[in-house]
Amino acid sequence: MPALLALSDVELYYDHIYALKGVSLEVNQGETVALIGANGAGKSSILRAITGLRRIKKGSVSFEGQRIDGLGPEAIVRLGIAMVPEGRRVFPYMSVRDNLMMGAFSRSDSAAIRRTLDEVLARFPRLKERLRQAAGTMSGGEQQMLVIGRALMARPKLLLLDEPSLGVAPMIVQDIARSIIAINRDEKVSVLLVEQNSRMALRVSHRAYALATGSIALSGLSADLVKDERIQRLYLGGDI
Amino acid sequence: MEQVIVNGLYLGAQYALIALGLTLIFALMNVLNFAHGQMYVIGGFLVYEIYGRMHWPFVVALFAAAATLAVIGGLLERFLFRTVIRRSLREESTMLLAAGVAYFLDAAILLLFGEKQHGVPKIVRGVFVSDNLIIPYDRVLVACLAILFIVAFVLMMQFTKPGRAMRAMAQDRVAAQLMGVPVEFYSLVGFALGAMLAGLVGGLLVTITGVNSGIGGPISIKAFTMVMIGGAGVVGGAILGGFILGMLESVGLSVLHSYGDITYLAIFVSLLIFLSIRPNGLMGKPWG
Repeated sequence: MPALLALSDVELYYDHIYALKGVSLEVNQGETVALIGANGAGKSSILRAITGLRRIKKGSVSFEGQRIDGLGPEAIVRLGIAMVPEGRRVFPYMSVRDNLMMGAFSRSDSAAIRRTLDEVLARFPRLKERLRQAAGTMSGGEQQMLVIGRALMARPKLLLLDEPSLGVAPMIVQDIARSIIAINRDEKVSVLLVEQNSRMALRVSHRAYALATGSIALSGLSADLVKDERIQRLYLGGDI
Repeated sequence: MEQVIVNGLYLGAQYALIALGLTLIFALMNVLNFAHGQMYVIGGFLVYEIYGRMHWPFVVALFAAAATLAVIGGLLERFLFRTVIRRSLREESTMLLAAGVAYFLDAAILLLFGEKQHGVPKIVRGVFVSDNLIIPYDRVLVACLAILFIVAFVLMMQFTKPGRAMRAMAQDRVAAQLMGVPVEFYSLVGFALGAMLAGLVGGLLVTITGVNSGIGGPISIKAFTMVMIGGAGVVGGAILGGFILGMLESVGLSVLHSYGDITYLAIFVSLLIFLSIRPNGLMGKPWG
């Protein structure tokens, strides 16, 4: 069985400066895969290449065996890839409910959408209390829950998360970690998690790739990588 | 007193509809459409030709004007603004393009319709008269239609899927794209809708004030004034700005007329002071 998502030898440039030079990685059905690495290592560029926000220069991106590089973002969402962007990016002046409904934009069966809305609200009860509130007036942690819920409204096969722990309180990071594990387990959604918080990322993922300046430096089972001396030195800041 | 308020509401309803079209295009595409007034003029002339000269029903003429302007708006977006936005990294480029479109349309209007002022037969006759109010019925009808269009527009933006998509796009274009919104298609729809609103008001008002080829610029200036008062890119702000300007004009014309034609001078002076205190207008944020 081919991998759900496969990047093969992907190169991506911003104005002639490379951001990715020959990245290959895979996410299998049912897996949570973490991408760790320092700021500017190219983690977000990988997500931009997958979602179609950036054209790749070389290599290929495949989803369920089909090439998707070259498709626009709206076509890629429809295939079943939903993205939680960095910095949350809620629609600040829209209600929580309208934000969630935007997540289901690519779907058209309104009865099924309503069922998904109920499921998402059951997973994040805080959102249910605030359905009519403007999204921009919520706390950072609540907004993070909202954008994860918004992505789930698309009923994705693959969920991409870009730095979900950035700028939220440490206690909320625990909540987010638990949510990611639960989503992957309950909804059979595969997850690709990009994180600077490597400790959290390695804890919730099955496998991980460590990125350094545009290419994969290390990869393996997360449980092994946590103990890897190089990972500890580079990404975990010494002892655990 | 009542007369001044009623006049203000009548002006405000049509102004709000003008400002809505301008603010929609700005919110969706970050384009300041300097050609908005010219689109209004085209709408007016189309209703003049179809209703005034060919004597087709007014409703048909208004519908045709709206549809034509929607097509013109769509074509402008597709073949001019979209390519410029794609190729240029500078926001000024679209402003210059919009100014160029305004000059072009001015010239085209002059060529096609001539420089004479044109009017059309009244759509309804009669005047409502009471102790302290005089309102011609056609003004009542025009104001009601304008309000009806405003309400329809707001309901569409609030409660339909395309409306929600356009609001989302105005707030965060990339996030909207990630939700699967085809942003280029909705830019086209938005531009067509904005142009259509301009044509609709032009078509409504030709029945009262008539139309001539020179009023495009002044209409654009009024539209920009309203958007500055209310806040750019905000539906509520455009409506509020429209009614405020209508009221100011109405009050100014009755209070200041003994000093000569200084109403707009006074409005612009107050606007400058207001903007220096509140540069974003009353509701300056995208899509409230």
